Amino acid sequence: MDAPWLTLVIVSPLAGLPVLLLWRSISDEAARWVGLAAALAAFAVSIGMLANFQTGEAGFQLVSKHPWVESVGLTWFLGVDGFSVWLVMVTTFMFPIAIAASWKVDHQVRRYMAMALFLETVILGAFLSLDLLLFFLFFEALLFPMYYIIGVWGSKRRIYAATKFLLYTMFGSAFLLVGILWLYIESGNQLGKATFDLTVLEQVRLSTEAGRWLFLAFFVGFAVKVPVWPLHTWLPDAHTEAPTKGSVVLAAILLKTGPYGMLRFNLDLFPEASRYFADAIMVLAVVGIIYGAIVAMMQRDIKRLIAYSSVSHMGLIVLGIFAFSAESMDGAVLQMVNHGLSTGMLFLVFGMLYERTHTREISDLGGIVQITPWLAGAYVVAMFSSIGLPGLNNFVGEFLVLLGTFSVDRVLASIAILGVILSAIYMLWSYQRTFQGPAKERWGTLRDLSWREGAIVAPIVVAMLWIGLQPGPMLERLRPTSELVSERIRTVQVGEAVEPLARTSGAGEEGP
Amino acid sequence: MIDPPRVELWAILPVLILFGGAVIALVGSAFARRADQAPFVFLTLAALAAAAASALWLWNREPTTALEGMVSVDRLAVVATLTLCGVGAFGAYLGYHYFERDELRRNEFYALLLFALGGMALLVAAADLIVVFLAIEVLSLSLYVLTALTFRRGPTEASLKYFLLGAFASAFLLYGVAISYGAVATTSIQGLARGLAGTTGDQSLAIAGALLIVVGLGFKVSLVPFHMWAPDVYQGAPSPVTAFMSAATKVAVFVALIRVLHVAFVGLQWDLGPAIAALSAASMVVGSVLAMAQTDVKRLLAYSSVAQAGYILSAFVAPDRDGIAAALFYVVSYAAAVIGAFGVVMLVSGGVREQTGFERFRGLGRRRPGLSALLTIFLLSLAGIPPTAGFVAKVFVLGAATRAGYWPLVLIGALAGVVGAFYYLRIVALMAMREPEGDDVADPSPLPRLVLAVPAAAVVVLGIVPGVIVPVLREAGVLTW
Amino acid sequence: MIDLIGLAIAIPLVAAGVNMLVGARLGRYAGWLATGAMAASFAIALGALLDLLSLPAGDRTQVVTVAEWIRAGAATVTLDLRVDPLSITMAMVVTGVGSLIHLYAIGYMEHDPRPGRFFGYMNLFCAFMLALVLANDFVLLYLGWEGVGLCSYLLIGFWSDRPEAASAAKKAFITTRVGDVMLLLGLFAIWIHFGSFDFDTVLGAEGSLPEIATGTATAISLLMLGGAVGKSAQLPLHVWLPDAMAGPTPVSALIHAATMVTAGVYLVVRTHVLFEISEIALTVVAVIGLAGALYAGFASLGQYDMKRALAYSTMSQLGFMFLAAGLGFSAVAISLLVAHAFYKALLFLTSGNVMHGLHDEIDVRRLGGLVRDMPWTAALFAVGALALSGLPPFSGYFTKDAILELASHDGEVWAYVLGSLGALVSAWYIARLFFTAFIGDRRYEGRAHEASTLMRAPLVVLAIGALFAGMWLALTPDGRLATFLEPVVGTVAEGHAGPSAQVLVAISVVLTLLGIAIAWRLYRPAAAERWISFPEREPGLAGALGHAFYIDDLYAWIVGTVGLRGAAALEGFDRIVVDGAVNGVGRLAVRLSGLAPIWQSGKVRRYALSFLAGGVALLVFAVVRV
Repeated sequence: MDAPWLTLVIVSPLAGLPVLLLWRSISDEAARWVGLAAALAAFAVSIGMLANFQTGEAGFQLVSKHPWVESVGLTWFLGVDGFSVWLVMVTTFMFPIAIAASWKVDHQVRRYMAMALFLETVILGAFLSLDLLLFFLFFEALLFPMYYIIGVWGSKRRIYAATKFLLYTMFGSAFLLVGILWLYIESGNQLGKATFDLTVLEQVRLSTEAGRWLFLAFFVGFAVKVPVWPLHTWLPDAHTEAPTKGSVVLAAILLKTGPYGMLRFNLDLFPEASRYFADAIMVLAVVGIIYGAIVAMMQRDIKRLIAYSSVSHMGLIVLGIFAFSAESMDGAVLQMVNHGLSTGMLFLVFGMLYERTHTREISDLGGIVQITPWLAGAYVVAMFSSIGLPGLNNFVGEFLVLLGTFSVDRVLASIAILGVILSAIYMLWSYQRTFQGPAKERWGTLRDLSWREGAIVAPIVVAMLWIGLQPGPMLERLRPTSELVSERIRTVQVGEAVEPLARTSGAGEEGP
Repeated sequence: MIDPPRVELWAILPVLILFGGAVIALVGSAFARRADQAPFVFLTLAALAAAAASALWLWNREPTTALEGMVSVDRLAVVATLTLCGVGAFGAYLGYHYFERDELRRNEFYALLLFALGGMALLVAAADLIVVFLAIEVLSLSLYVLTALTFRRGPTEASLKYFLLGAFASAFLLYGVAISYGAVATTSIQGLARGLAGTTGDQSLAIAGALLIVVGLGFKVSLVPFHMWAPDVYQGAPSPVTAFMSAATKVAVFVALIRVLHVAFVGLQWDLGPAIAALSAASMVVGSVLAMAQTDVKRLLAYSSVAQAGYILSAFVAPDRDGIAAALFYVVSYAAAVIGAFGVVMLVSGGVREQTGFERFRGLGRRRPGLSALLTIFLLSLAGIPPTAGFVAKVFVLGAATRAGYWPLVLIGALAGVVGAFYYLRIVALMAMREPEGDDVADPSPLPRLVLAVPAAAVVVLGIVPGVIVPVLREAGVLTW
Repeated sequence: MIDLIGLAIAIPLVAAGVNMLVGARLGRYAGWLATGAMAASFAIALGALLDLLSLPAGDRTQVVTVAEWIRAGAATVTLDLRVDPLSITMAMVVTGVGSLIHLYAIGYMEHDPRPGRFFGYMNLFCAFMLALVLANDFVLLYLGWEGVGLCSYLLIGFWSDRPEAASAAKKAFITTRVGDVMLLLGLFAIWIHFGSFDFDTVLGAEGSLPEIATGTATAISLLMLGGAVGKSAQLPLHVWLPDAMAGPTPVSALIHAATMVTAGVYLVVRTHVLFEISEIALTVVAVIGLAGALYAGFASLGQYDMKRALAYSTMSQLGFMFLAAGLGFSAVAISLLVAHAFYKALLFLTSGNVMHGLHDEIDVRRLGGLVRDMPWTAALFAVGALALSGLPPFSGYFTKDAILELASHDGEVWAYVLGSLGALVSAWYIARLFFTAFIGDRRYEGRAHEASTLMRAPLVVLAIGALFAGMWLALTPDGRLATFLEPVVGTVAEGHAGPSAQVLVAISVVLTLLGIAIAWRLYRPAAAERWISFPEREPGLAGALGHAFYIDDLYAWIVGTVGLRGAAALEGFDRIVVDGAVNGVGRLAVRLSGLAPIWQSGKVRRYALSFLAGGVALLVFAVVRV
């Protein structure tokens, strides 16, 4: 079926907004359902997008391109390729779950849902924009709703955490903005008409030096979001103070805008610089893997622990991207989805426990497994997924990243692989202290998972198993893109001029 | 036999209408000091409407100058006048509500408002530095009085400071005009342009003149280091006045700056650039940093307006129509946001003995979702967070600066934006994320909120589809006769 | 049947799913469901074995295509299964012994509140174990490898309300994971070198050695050995196995004696061609094996907890398997593996009977004289003990001693001598257990109740296997199992060095009897006081043996003290330095901002002054601009 799928995907969550904004007296229950319905609608639309996605196609697909602000060359330019398609899917997949998981939010439900839907829209926009300014617009627009969700519905130190998150990420995007504008002007100087169109900017020939500076500007912007060590300290606070849904969205989706940006923009626009800085970045990534894992080990607060585990896992993703081998790149993209599922589920399930115990302190918990075996079971699944147990989703991604990295740099891969051990240590240790051991009678009355909660968790488990055992459908859709990009990057020689990327499709398909 | 000067009054029709309205209002208020002020509002709004209409009527005129090259008839003036009329209308309504609420009868407010607007309308059309000076004086005097209008201690003190420093600034301005005349032997803006285009060799004199004029005008838009009056005056003045002043003055004066820097001294652009950049950077940084520690919303917004002025100025380092369009877009979106913000502040501050400390805003979101939502929108725009006009405006001006090659300035601006986000969102956090305390004294009447919803809507619309005005602004940016 | 081999994995898997999801509702039937699943899977494996036997020895390697798993870049991983003599032998052990242990567990776990979960995990384990042994692809093997680790974790920690159980489970998973990581690196290296994970591509068809430099082969082999050492609890990654006994006894029998721990041996045998290319790798295997055999044998002597003693015994026996593999006698290693599966499972389950009969009492110092209360159990334990001790004609003899014999014939004197010492110790510690636990006078209160028929029946079967399997598998000119395995593991080259077979038999019998005699001398009923008070009299020696020469304590110190301190330091660094810097910048900015009032004092003259300063500055710029 021929439809402006991507535009539809982006706007579909907004369908719920008019109701939520205009109907002041809407009951909380109704508001929840409106939010959930809109999110599910978005998921349905994204399925349609997926159905129309051509497997084996490396370039951008379902492109829609309409001039927006002619005078400055801003265009509504959307396209999806192997890198973005699954990120879109995981976004639309996790949002209904996250919304359903926050059913217990009891104050300002109407605003909560409105913010959630707005957030989904801008995140989807960021994943689908092929116009740098449009991307940046979405990239910045997702700050406020996230800030608001953390700050309003978060826990004790929520305002500190929200502000830190906002300022830190804005700090990063300040450099990104400078980079984008610079490139925009440069395109004007070279091509006559200044533009933000990615496919055109790829044609801009940059001096080696300029390319490297721009690369850094872009990289800093994305590195904060990832977060790349040592720019990570906003993450534990944000994760910890955010409400469950906030943590889920943050971990599952929002962080992915960082590595996605690197993959989409740094590698495409500055291949020479990408190669030039690759080694340094890989080292940072490996440091992040080990560092995050070790620091996670020492956390007394489960959500902080999971947050630091994210630092570790995201490091692996960055490693995979900048190893430039086709395998590692496939693995990195897959890992973006996997980390979304596993860490998202960890936060989800722990959130359910938190709703019951109202404590995040490991030392307060213990012996939960006897009382709520199903909740513990769900946590175990998520835990082993994030530990990278074969048969579950994370293994495939980690395996490919490490394999690809190993073929490029034995030493770094061998260090990075220690993360596999460390993740087992901090996860199992914290599990032992929170769920195992003698049951404390103060938790004797905890309820086990309700059917609603079970229904929230089940789809993720299914997805985990599916990716873990049959990643084929995902890999074959992203493989062509990653092969195209890694091919091109690997042909680049440091210090030499670069041939513009030849796209098989995508560029130039004007919308009506 | 000397033929009399041609008097093309049509060219300054908007100005005349405004002054006319002002006179009527003045006389009226003189006779009916204690009368109900409703008629005055209608008079004012009518005058504004008429002025706007006449300005529109000038839109399709062939760009030219009139009155012996004293005023220019061009689209820049038209656009600016229209903006001013809009701002004036909101200012008038806010003032009406402000005084009505406390049964104060300050009917001269409208007269002064119209005088100020007349001066501004003249300023944006000025084609001669002398006119620039006169216009500045007219609008300044009205603003001094407006500031003190409640005769309370704070406002009076503020007014006095404003007046003293204003006089100081006028001296600089006049001195600048004189020096420029000394350099090129004309005060006509185009004359200066032509003269400088011809001359070669040392132009220090002209540069000095230009810079002194920049100082004089920079004072009005509170550029660092000429900004120090702003916090005291913004805080001291009655909120509606602050709202009007902060929005309208910037519109008018920056348009004048466009004429000065993009026409009169365009030949010196490469010499002036660094100075402009320095002023801009200083304003962005100092304004943002100093705003962080403020705990009074009006004062905070005052410092923020310093930073905002810096952003607008950053577009001036790019001497081309894109730069002008960028500056205009910024000015317009800023005007909409700031008048809205001060409007909400006025409604929250609870009456003429204004309390605008942070505590008044604590938990406002729980208590008055409507008001806090409005203020949030305005603050987001000021902070430059999408999807608001402020974001687009920042991208425009910083883009212009990039084009001129001033990317360090751009980086400073971008980073200052982070600081800006900090203090603007501090208020948002205050309203949305904290529990209210004390009793609710915010203005309950619904009409003001409806009125303020208009700029809010404008901010959002401009943020999502800036295309609706950008072409117009680019038209206005054509300054060649 | 070969094509249906996938079902052998699928059936337990499905049963596991059912048991884990609705096991609570099944109640006691959970156990029967699991056992039935295992039996079915056994039947399939048996059918496959028969089919295989019906084929000529040449093409007894069948690959069953199942599905593609991962394809990315140049890497491809399949879920295909491989049915060849080696894998089917392993499958038979897993399903056969597995079924019996499941059956036993029905009785053993009858009082447990959550049989569904238990049997779910057990079935899941078997499914993963079968995937491990049937895999035709290193990555699928790794899946099974990690999967059994998971189940081991879940089952050791099954009674997770007991802190020691939870800790043991964690310890087991993490320690083996250290090995797993090495295995994973080995896999990467294999892929770099061969560009494939497929057994046929990597290991080459029968006979033909893979094209690979010795150095690479050594690296790959040693990395994989690392994995094997972790799973099979060999030095230096053995510390988890004794603690793992905190799990339910059937678990110890199935996972930590019969099957999972033998995965390491299987891996080494499966990839023996790589090992054989590199002399170093083979030697390392042999040395590790021999060292482990001796080390664990002596450590077992120091244990008073029957299961811990048996755990060290298992480690010792695995050591012998590694020794065999290291010396190039892969077939013998596998036969020992099979025989050991029988008698060690038997020994564990009988000790399980003891626990079951004496509400979890397992310390030999508080047992004794059980033979009177539990004649069956005592007899069955005796059988297992005899089989292990290696007295002809029981299994142990035809397997363990066969290794020593071959070693001697190959002229590997060091291996023979030390190995014989290990054999002696084996007889010693197993006899010790029997004497201390089953004869003499009771040292426990009340009466131990004999195990139910349901729990005895599987033991009888195991006992028969323990007694005769070795003989049946070996008693042919060159060993029945050996011939069967030959296509995969190659022939066992019989040397002719050293004394003749008869002499060696005599020696080994003498040594075994000597070991038993020593045990009798030390642990006979009359000497009970002496050995129970032994620690008081000889604290040093008793401590060394009891703590298995303190290696575990050393690790505990390194991880618990050094490691945790380091981690804590890093955490502090993150909080104070990295995050401190971030917050510091923020605070600094606010400080600066706070300075405003100093100049912004409301004094107009100051305002004018700064105003003037600005103006002057600009003028100066106008004049002195460059």
